[in-house]
Amino acid sequence: MNTLTDNQRQTLGRIGDSLIPAALGMPSFTGAEAQGEMVDHVLALRPELLNDLRRALDGVAADEDAASATERLNREDPEALGAIGLVASSAYYLMPGVRAIMGYKGQEHRPASADEEHDYLRDNLLQAVVDRGPIYRDPGVE
Amino acid sequence: MGETAEVLIIGAGASGAVAAKHLSEAGVRVVCLEQGRAVTSDEFYGDKPEWELMSQRLWHPNPNVRGLATDYPIDTSESDVNPLMFAGVGGSTLIYAAHWQRFMPSDLRVRTLDGVADDWPFTYQDLEPFYDFMDEEMGVSGLAGDPAYPPMTPPPLPPMPIGTIGRLAAKGMNDLGWHWWPAPQAIPSRAYRGRSQCVRRGTCMQGCPEQAKASTDLTHWPDAIANGAQLITGARVREITVNAAGLATGAIWIDRDGVEHHQKAEKVIVCANGVGTPRLLMLSGGDRFANGLGNSSGLVGRNLMMHPYAATVGYFDEPLDSWLGPAGQAIHSMQFYETDKSRGFVRGAKWNAMPTGGPLGMRSAYGGAPLEEAWGENLRRSTQKRFGHSFEWGIIAEDLPDPDNRVVLDDTLTDSDGIPSPKIIYRNSENTEKLIAFHLDRQKEAMEACGASSISTTTLMRDCGWHLMGTCRMGNDPETSVLDQWGTSHDVANLHVLDGSTFVTSSGFNPTATICAIALRSVLHMIETRAEQRTAS
Ligand SMILES: Cc1cc2nc3c(=O)[nH]c(=O)nc-3n(C[C@H](O)[C@H](O)[C@H](O)COP(=O)(O)OP(=O)(O)OC[C@H]3O[C@@H](n4cnc5c(N)ncnc54)[C@H](O)[C@@H]3O)c2cc1C
Ligand code: SF4
Repeated sequence: MNTLTDNQRQTLGRIGDSLIPAALGMPSFTGAEAQGEMVDHVLALRPELLNDLRRALDGVAADEDAASATERLNREDPEALGAIGLVASSAYYLMPGVRAIMGYKGQEHRPASADEEHDYLRDNLLQAVVDRGPIYRDPGVE
Repeated sequence: MGETAEVLIIGAGASGAVAAKHLSEAGVRVVCLEQGRAVTSDEFYGDKPEWELMSQRLWHPNPNVRGLATDYPIDTSESDVNPLMFAGVGGSTLIYAAHWQRFMPSDLRVRTLDGVADDWPFTYQDLEPFYDFMDEEMGVSGLAGDPAYPPMTPPPLPPMPIGTIGRLAAKGMNDLGWHWWPAPQAIPSRAYRGRSQCVRRGTCMQGCPEQAKASTDLTHWPDAIANGAQLITGARVREITVNAAGLATGAIWIDRDGVEHHQKAEKVIVCANGVGTPRLLMLSGGDRFANGLGNSSGLVGRNLMMHPYAATVGYFDEPLDSWLGPAGQAIHSMQFYETDKSRGFVRGAKWNAMPTGGPLGMRSAYGGAPLEEAWGENLRRSTQKRFGHSFEWGIIAEDLPDPDNRVVLDDTLTDSDGIPSPKIIYRNSENTEKLIAFHLDRQKEAMEACGASSISTTTLMRDCGWHLMGTCRMGNDPETSVLDQWGTSHDVANLHVLDGSTFVTSSGFNPTATICAIALRSVLHMIETRAEQRTAS
């Protein structure tokens, strides 16, 4: 079952591109093809966003310019625009191609090696702190 | 349920777990009632790409955002800060960041040293052996010798690496001649007592998918259950019952089918946290204690402290891999912790240098920004500038007890069982505002010293009530406190409170090491004096 109609998805693509345009070496929202299955995946995990999202998309006429629709939604229905922003950016940053360009592998599995543990002792980074001595107030023991 | 428990514990979070383990180990018949359920590590999203998406709803720390039936909603309309927590086996430790901080000696002597608030009924030296013991039980990683503390027993595990962001922050602090130290964490740098080594996913605040972080569902509950403690989940307590002699006799609780039960008990220990505990005491007592159970002082629910949190983010040209965990802290600093009255305020704060998470988390930091700043080409520029290239110096600001900052019962809001919800009334004091302003200025200097190309600050984060303290304070005088130094009610001899409600002052430290040390001290005292105690039977 489609979570969005073709019209709604097209509108999401247009507004998504105005929020996430192609720039600085990164593709736009639809350039990354985030408006397809990834949006459905996001909505399957966060179904409570659907109402706001559909309301926002249905309120944009086919001939309304994306930038002005975004401005209008921001003024009139910020929650609805928030839903578009969250769904679009979530889907976008979940796209493997986008992550690859950003150099983000997701939250990594990178156990520390013993070598990393005490690097500040080996190069004396911590020594100055030790040399300055105690900094706590001692209220004494009654 | 017909059997009378020797001790009934309400709440299976940090303090409840410590109590259950040690009482059951001593052969005490323990029953624990917990409104939440047991959560397993495969439910957490930290090892899945959708982690950030789910952290904004299902694993959000604010129960009002999660909206789960196991939580109670909270009226925060009159509060500067939202209280944060989690309901389940392990309680809020399921989603805590595991900064494992001791108080400094001065924290327990605030009246003597600074002329404000009150001294605690015991000293740092009294607590020290229990801190040591808890370090072992939690598997704390850290480096001995921090000059912000008196000499102490080294923690059982070597420190987590401080990583790229910790080293960068430390260099800045060294240039300024300011204190820093590798941060102590209840996160195992090596596999420890059945828990895995931390793999630095940095998702600790949405649950650890690796079974590494020391949440009490892993550190304490398995032993407590093996010792014979009975843990009942989905059990929402609505009232602690009392007899004609004014002693606690147990509690009425509601199961997930809506059926009411009465659990009889000789003693009751409330471990429902700094909001849940005063709520429950105010719901209890009937006509005999019309003001709420154990509330002859009128202080149940008052003096709520939540550690208003402010932070400074620095942005750097070089890559810092600043999504790498642990999420909590790489290094900490107590340079400006102790009172210096020339600053125009008393008390201070701990700082923690922290990573800044994934790409989406950085997006949510823009909430409320004008459209053209938050989206479009600016999104590109800001993401490039921030993501992987920033770290945060956070401020745990000590807020002093103020009776007007309080938890009360809400007139209309209820939980899913129809039980009145708590309402929070909480305002930042002038002292706290000055303290935060001073610390933010110093943090800007620290960021500049380590070469930040730009800096941004958050003066008060609303979703920051991680630490819930003070609402059933301890003390020697029944007129000015709710509990004695062992967490026993001044009014009801077999009623005890062991969670963060007991705190006299908040310190500028994350509280759970101290909550657990106090719970352990009180429970061991309870076991030692078992024969002398008054009970309902
Ligand atoms: C996101 C986050 C990050 C944190 N990070 C840190 C940190 O880095 N370091 C630190 O020291 N602390 C941290 N904390 C705080 C820490 O989690 C708490 O201090 C600690 O868990 C408090 O222990 P407690 O026993 O007082 O209560 P909790 O752990 O909150 O447990 C209370 C339990 O009581 C149950 N309960 C409440 N009412 C009822 C009722 N009526 N019937 C039945 N059960 C009930 C609740 O469901 C809950 O499980 C953090 C907290 C959060 C939310
Ligand atoms: S950083 Fe370590 S403790 Fe935190 S979630 Fe990852 S593995 Fe668990």
